Amino acid sequence: MAAELRILRERVRAVRSIQKTTRAFELIATSRIGRARSRMVSARPYAEEITTALAALGAAASNLEHPLLVPRQQVRRAGVLVVTSDKGMCGGYNANALRRAEELIALLHEEGKDVALYVSGRKGIGYYRFRGRPMVANWSGFSDQPHYDNAADMADEVVGAFLAGSDNETGEEGIDELHVVYTEFRSMLTQSAVARRIAPMDIEYAESPTAMPLYEFEPDAETLLGALLPKYVKTRLFAALLDSAASELASRQRAMKAATDNAQELIRTYTLQMNQARQAQITQEISEIVGGADALAAAGSEE
Amino acid sequence: MMTTTVSSETATGRVVRVIGPVVDVEFPRDAVPQLFNALHVPVTLSGLERTLTLEVAQHLGDNVVRTISMQPTDGLVRGVEVKDTGNPISVPVGEAVKGHVFNALGDCLDEPGYGSDFEKWGIHRIPPAFDKLEGRTEMLETGLKVIDLLTPYVRGGKIGLFGGAGVGKTVLIQEMINRIARNHRGTSVFAGVGERTREGNDLILELGEANVLKDTALVFGQMDEPPGTRMRVALSALTMAEYFRDVQNQDVLLFIDNIFRFTQAGSEVSTLLGRMPSAVGYQPTLADEMGELQERITSTKGKSITSMQAIYVPADDYTDPAPATTFAHLDATTELSRSVFQKGIFPAVDPLSSTSRILDPAIVGEDHYRVAQEVIRILQRYKDLQDIIAILGMDELAEEDKVVVQRARRVERFLSQNMMAAEQFTGLPGSTVPLKETIEAFDKITKGEYDHAPEQAFFLIGGLEDLERRIEEIAKR
Repeated sequence: MAAELRILRERVRAVRSIQKTTRAFELIATSRIGRARSRMVSARPYAEEITTALAALGAAASNLEHPLLVPRQQVRRAGVLVVTSDKGMCGGYNANALRRAEELIALLHEEGKDVALYVSGRKGIGYYRFRGRPMVANWSGFSDQPHYDNAADMADEVVGAFLAGSDNETGEEGIDELHVVYTEFRSMLTQSAVARRIAPMDIEYAESPTAMPLYEFEPDAETLLGALLPKYVKTRLFAALLDSAASELASRQRAMKAATDNAQELIRTYTLQMNQARQAQITQEISEIVGGADALAAAGSEE
Repeated sequence: MMTTTVSSETATGRVVRVIGPVVDVEFPRDAVPQLFNALHVPVTLSGLERTLTLEVAQHLGDNVVRTISMQPTDGLVRGVEVKDTGNPISVPVGEAVKGHVFNALGDCLDEPGYGSDFEKWGIHRIPPAFDKLEGRTEMLETGLKVIDLLTPYVRGGKIGLFGGAGVGKTVLIQEMINRIARNHRGTSVFAGVGERTREGNDLILELGEANVLKDTALVFGQMDEPPGTRMRVALSALTMAEYFRDVQNQDVLLFIDNIFRFTQAGSEVSTLLGRMPSAVGYQPTLADEMGELQERITSTKGKSITSMQAIYVPADDYTDPAPATTFAHLDATTELSRSVFQKGIFPAVDPLSSTSRILDPAIVGEDHYRVAQEVIRILQRYKDLQDIIAILGMDELAEEDKVVVQRARRVERFLSQNMMAAEQFTGLPGSTVPLKETIEAFDKITKGEYDHAPEQAFFLIGGLEDLERRIEEIAKR
């Protein structure tokens, strides 16, 4: 009994300290989420605009043979960039993103394509490293507060590989497609892991029904597109990172709230058990003392 | 013993006090009966004449002895004449007791009058001397995965099945009778101590069906009997077993369901005998009483008594003095736990608290030891992570821990098994898994060879073949 009491007391203490951590995480996430959302909202129009502009350009100048606009004849290797978080404690956020990535990879394999992995965030890196799957490049350290520089670093790497293509003479392993898996922020309650192909450009982004403007190229289309491509990828990646960061914080806030509540519930259960054990022990001792005294009195009266 | 002088068969005394099952009797100065002597006293209650048996428990002085009655004392009055039999309670022993049912006093229940002319042994005996004990250790295979792997039973050893109310002790005892007694070429003795009368009846019918009743002696003192009987019935059964061991040189299986009732009966009369109640209200002689019984259940050179004892754990509290005193005597302890039972895992053996003295590489072999330790390590880690999973969820675990949890859940389920005694509940016939296959199967699961298989495939099945079949079945659906 006494042993049980001690064990329960210890467990309550342990759960209480976990609860302190989860509550701190919850508060931090709550205080950061507002800023993350506003950054995300202000960055979104740029990404949308550059996408529509480029798509319109592609549609208008259909004679252009740039890899950004026209899929390559033969796609041997596809790049998949997965955006995960650096820290855990955010519920199913990473698990969902990684599951979406696995689905995408399985699909690409089915289509007979090789996959080159690019991973952002320690959780994703850990996931692939544990399974012994090679990554072409990885980045970490900025998942909840990404900067444009981070997106630029990533874009430099993937754009290089994309321009090189898989069918080049230099022997470098390039890619023919670029997909990005990130978590889209819909609202504080809904975030969903999505996979998008950002290069070559997807038709679904070019769905503006209004009349296309007529473009004239100055200097020539090749140069222009060559300069626009990195800018476009950077913007798209930056938007994805910001979406993911907001999602991560929202997810963390919700998960940590649930965890704090769970801990509270556990503390309640254990405390109840502890009090019952203590009360049982007290009752036991009292009845033993009373019983013993009675037995002594009875033995005394008999003589 | 004591200061008693003559104890002749003719000594008579008279009842001076009756408190429930405890009766004080006064004898003539020179004819006080010895401790443990059986006394007879005639009682007439509503026209029915019976003979009560009393057992001398204390000498109070002034020629008064305090006795415990073996039957209800209804109708007993002061002044009735009591006859000293001059002997302790004796039970018939020998080949002919097999196939019959007796009570604690050695009266045959299924055929009244049978066995009264047999050789009789007193039920209080001295345990075998230290130099006669068997030093050899050998494992007893049961075909139940969880038991063979984690709490290997000792041939000729003492095995305890602990469990709270209704977690399957009696079912497991019956399973063991099915598994061991049927393949056992020797004698079995079953002692029903303070358990349900219905279960005793079922057991007799089942043993008859399985054609092993002819090799089994049964002794019953169930919960409808007064404490005196429940205190002695285990000794009566044990005496029969000792005869088979010592005189007939046989290997004997002794099943006792439930040894806690023996302690409980002792506690019921303890205070009436004038003893000061000790911890949790138990008798102060708790450890001594248990020791006297357990020391006799032992194997001597070349012949053995393998005993299986069910032990009730009051309020699931293993620190209760009754189960705690029993622990020390056992070679292997199988603990049944409510939390495992609630997961629907049968037999509900708690893999982390069940132990065996022979789970040692020198006895069971390196492989067995290594696999058992690995299973325990995985389950222990899973248990440690349980609080974290409850608070943060599975997703927050490190990758290594996720794998451990996955495997632990599979191991946990694979420790369940379809049992013969449970066929009436599950509709599945029981399975027997050879020890080698058990070790191989758990080795593979802990190494991750079945990480891909769905968890429900591991549930209530036998060996690897069953597992493969179930995996296919589930894949088809």
